[in-house]
Amino acid sequence: MMENQTAALSPVDVLIEAAGRGSQIALKQLYEVESRRLYGIALRIVRRPEIAADVLQEAFVQIWQNAAAFSHERGTGAAWLTGIVRFRALDAVRKAGREIPTDDPTLGDEAVEPDVIDKIGASAEADALRRCLKLLEREQQLCIVLAFVDGLSHSEVAAHIKAPLGSVKSWIRRGLLSLRRCLEE
Amino acid sequence: MIPDNSEELRVLAGEYVLGVLDADEADEVAAALAVNAELRRAVAFWERQLHPLSSLATSAEPPSGTWQAIEARIRTKTAKPIATSLWSNLALWRWSTAGFAAAAAALALWIAAVPTPRPSLVAILHPPQQDQASWIATAGRSGLVLRAVTTATPPSDRAFELWAIAPGATQPRSLGVISPNGELKLSRLPPDLRDGATLAISIEPIGGSPTQLPSGPVVYVGSVKAV
Repeated sequence: MMENQTAALSPVDVLIEAAGRGSQIALKQLYEVESRRLYGIALRIVRRPEIAADVLQEAFVQIWQNAAAFSHERGTGAAWLTGIVRFRALDAVRKAGREIPTDDPTLGDEAVEPDVIDKIGASAEADALRRCLKLLEREQQLCIVLAFVDGLSHSEVAAHIKAPLGSVKSWIRRGLLSLRRCLEE
Repeated sequence: MIPDNSEELRVLAGEYVLGVLDADEADEVAAALAVNAELRRAVAFWERQLHPLSSLATSAEPPSGTWQAIEARIRTKTAKPIATSLWSNLALWRWSTAGFAAAAAALALWIAAVPTPRPSLVAILHPPQQDQASWIATAGRSGLVLRAVTTATPPSDRAFELWAIAPGATQPRSLGVISPNGELKLSRLPPDLRDGATLAISIEPIGGSPTQLPSGPVVYVGSVKAV
């Protein structure tokens, strides 16, 4: 938490704070700056543009309502926005049940690529995550990326990589344990 | 079930952030977040640490009209007159944090004087544009207690009513009318009450607001924090 307090505020953080004080202009600017990134995250999870647009809409209404409660102690504004969009997207997937196709031939392809971890953007936090993910076993790494980026549940990951559900649960569990130890070092 | 073991708790938080839990399990974690500070910290840890993975999703242009739809919904929300006065009061209140340290010191003394069980949530309420702590609410598993710090009396033929606004909620929900001695006790923790929620007190007819929303002015507000 200490380092977050001394870190310089990003433009996104400043816009969230201004939106929290009731500025609709700030929210609109936030949309202009962040909507493409956030829509991409939602689309990757829900797979359907009309649902992704709904997710983005719900997320921005929630951002507007909760911006005043955003605290830098919890992390960067960008991560906060991502968290809201991902949970909205996962919620949409759960509500829609199996309406969202998981047999899409392109689903999760990227996660299977051997160098996918190298594609994670550049920043101090990204460097740490990349280094720690690379220490995981291949299956652990794959399951975690599929779950986070493609929004797959335990059973969907299992179906997708054709592995037993119990193995997938265990890989994710042990992967998270190792990841945490490495990230906290 | 939410594990007591710290390592198990962190794994569960990680699974929650990854999104692999089924709906029931995810709901259970979401509900526990309100009362479990360690779980909250663990979830925040994973949200922060895993965030760079989201850069693997390719950015894309949202359909045109998405912003207009968002704007329309925000406008609708603030168009309600009662909600407007409440929210603008809250917006003002968000500016006034200068007196918070003093209020927190008073609160620490107050908590020390309160018998167990220790509350897990507290809120200091003050007038929207002032820093003076006027009410303290403490809540935990055993329910909620709201007490006036200084003598606060509603106008004659009126009563104070306490409202909770859950984080992300658009409408306040009544927690009840405050008795004339300046106290309100609930034996169960209202679901809306969790870290990041807002408490507000409005002036209402005796017996409470005739509608589901505050009908009179909001005279005290405060933010609920986990301790």
